[in-house]
Amino acid sequence: MKKLDIFGRKNANTKSITSGLKQVRVLDGMPMLIACIVIVAALYVLGAAGVLNSNTQRYLLKIFLYCTLGSMWNLMSGYTGMTSLGQQTFIGLAGYSLTVMTATYAMSYWVGFLAGTVISAIVSLILAIILFRMRGMYFAVATWVIAEALRTFFTSWKFVRQGAGMTVAARPYPSTTTIYLIALTLCIIALVVIYFLLKSKVGLGLTAMRDDADAASSVGVDIFKSKLLVFVICAIFTALAGGVFYLNKGSIYPAGGFGISWTVSIVFIVIIGGIGTMAGPVLGSIIYVILEEQLAKLPGGWTNIVLGLIAILVILFLPDGIVGTLQKKFNFEILSQKRFSKE
Amino acid sequence: MTTVIQMLINGILLGSVYALLGVGMTMIFGIVKLTNLAHGEFIIIGAFGSTLLAQALGVDPILTLVITVPMMFIAGVLLQTVLINRVMLQGSEPALLVTFGLSIILKDAMLLLFTADARHANVPYSTATIRLPAGLHIAVLDLVVFAISLATILILTLFLRHTYMGRAIRATSDDTAAASLMGVSVRRTYGIAMGIAMATAAVAGLGVGMRWTFYPSSGGDYLLIAFGVVVIGGMGSIPGTLVAGLIFGLAQVIGGANYGMLISYILLILMLAVRPQGLFSK
Repeated sequence: MKKLDIFGRKNANTKSITSGLKQVRVLDGMPMLIACIVIVAALYVLGAAGVLNSNTQRYLLKIFLYCTLGSMWNLMSGYTGMTSLGQQTFIGLAGYSLTVMTATYAMSYWVGFLAGTVISAIVSLILAIILFRMRGMYFAVATWVIAEALRTFFTSWKFVRQGAGMTVAARPYPSTTTIYLIALTLCIIALVVIYFLLKSKVGLGLTAMRDDADAASSVGVDIFKSKLLVFVICAIFTALAGGVFYLNKGSIYPAGGFGISWTVSIVFIVIIGGIGTMAGPVLGSIIYVILEEQLAKLPGGWTNIVLGLIAILVILFLPDGIVGTLQKKFNFEILSQKRFSKE
Repeated sequence: MTTVIQMLINGILLGSVYALLGVGMTMIFGIVKLTNLAHGEFIIIGAFGSTLLAQALGVDPILTLVITVPMMFIAGVLLQTVLINRVMLQGSEPALLVTFGLSIILKDAMLLLFTADARHANVPYSTATIRLPAGLHIAVLDLVVFAISLATILILTLFLRHTYMGRAIRATSDDTAAASLMGVSVRRTYGIAMGIAMATAAVAGLGVGMRWTFYPSSGGDYLLIAFGVVVIGGMGSIPGTLVAGLIFGLAQVIGGANYGMLISYILLILMLAVRPQGLFSK
């Protein structure tokens, strides 16, 4: 992204250039791996052994799902430069696949997840043809328009009972513990996929493409293929998270499944945590779920007002988010995708 | 034949409102180079302003423009100079996200202030119709809103063509750096452009309130229409906005209540894919 100072002042972005010269400590390798494994193992054991009560499990599984959604959006926007305001397209499709498969066809919820994933992958391939002709704000708004078009369509589609919505009818209905374990597994797979994707040659090409698409393409980055790969991966994981979310919630209606409030949450999580950092969405989703639960206790609908204010203040004063600001200040990076020369 | 002409008339009347919804957004797009995702909420604020003032003062909603237009103009100037000018230094995407944040704040703030009830700006002539030969008819209300829309767009065009500020705005839109070298204050121009955009949103809100019922949450629908008008007409082109408004209005009338919006959305997506620069771009 070119950064032109619109008021004709000197470039305000000299900070990022100087920080590149300092030695950056990367927190990865053995110690980080062990720490991650310990946390993950603890989450599995505590969940499966029934130490956590079902309320805590619901809290945590929401964090896992939002973390998946946020990390995937971050992969698209923060690393690839595709800012989508319409990931709810895939959440809604997955939610409806789950309900239709379990309620209308009396299948297992796994079939529902599979259907949601396949449909979302196919839809994302078709959408890519249209969307990849656009950049920046055109892309952003087009993704939103697509989600809105689907919402309008589902609201008048008799097969899915129009605007009235549908109820998930998985038999037997999985326990909160089962859903918790599915959500945790999904979140871990999503983070691992993102990490290795960014570490790979494709990932380096992606960041190069985000910073300067023409330059990246001239040194041999296949822009279309890389973008398509990211777009489809994000669609699949977003769909899976959406499916698990609606399995937990139990019912879906068009204004919820395809609603813009999904994007509100996702954008908040990534902006607060730090766009373009691995750890940002993880921290962001924890903050988001806690805030959301606390704000819901307030009388009246203050949630979005407070979330929106926090987001604007963070963009104004901490444009790199919490993790991004800390990383810049103390010159470290958690699980960086960059390849530093060893000296 | 009569039905076709009737649909054409209805489409044109509706299209004029759509053009008015889009005209403020196209200005911000063309001049400030910003996608203002809060424009829908600005329109709804205008609608609430006119409806509530007309009720409180017991006057025709059109007269409330004397108050709402200057108020919204000042709000727009403040918003741009205090907030958006600052974020724009960080690039276009943070600015986009700030307007997105603004839109959710305004939506829920209106919900708290005005409750989720449906509102409508009542006028004495709301059910009157003019009968034309061959069974055609025009609703007086639609005709009044049509006149307001066209008048607003005309005044805006004249302002941009014939005043110093208008020329400064157009110069900034064409080449920000050159305009700034010629002594145009870019910050001030952006502020005034946002003020004008919000003033048109006040008028558009009046049109929305007179023609339809609205809720605090209706902003998103009008934003998407405004955006469609902007994209199809070409960013920053006011004549383009008029034509695109008419196209959208006709699509809506042909598709009816169930599929009108869907047809409009599909039209918009196709347009974005095939000719994102719009019909009338420079």
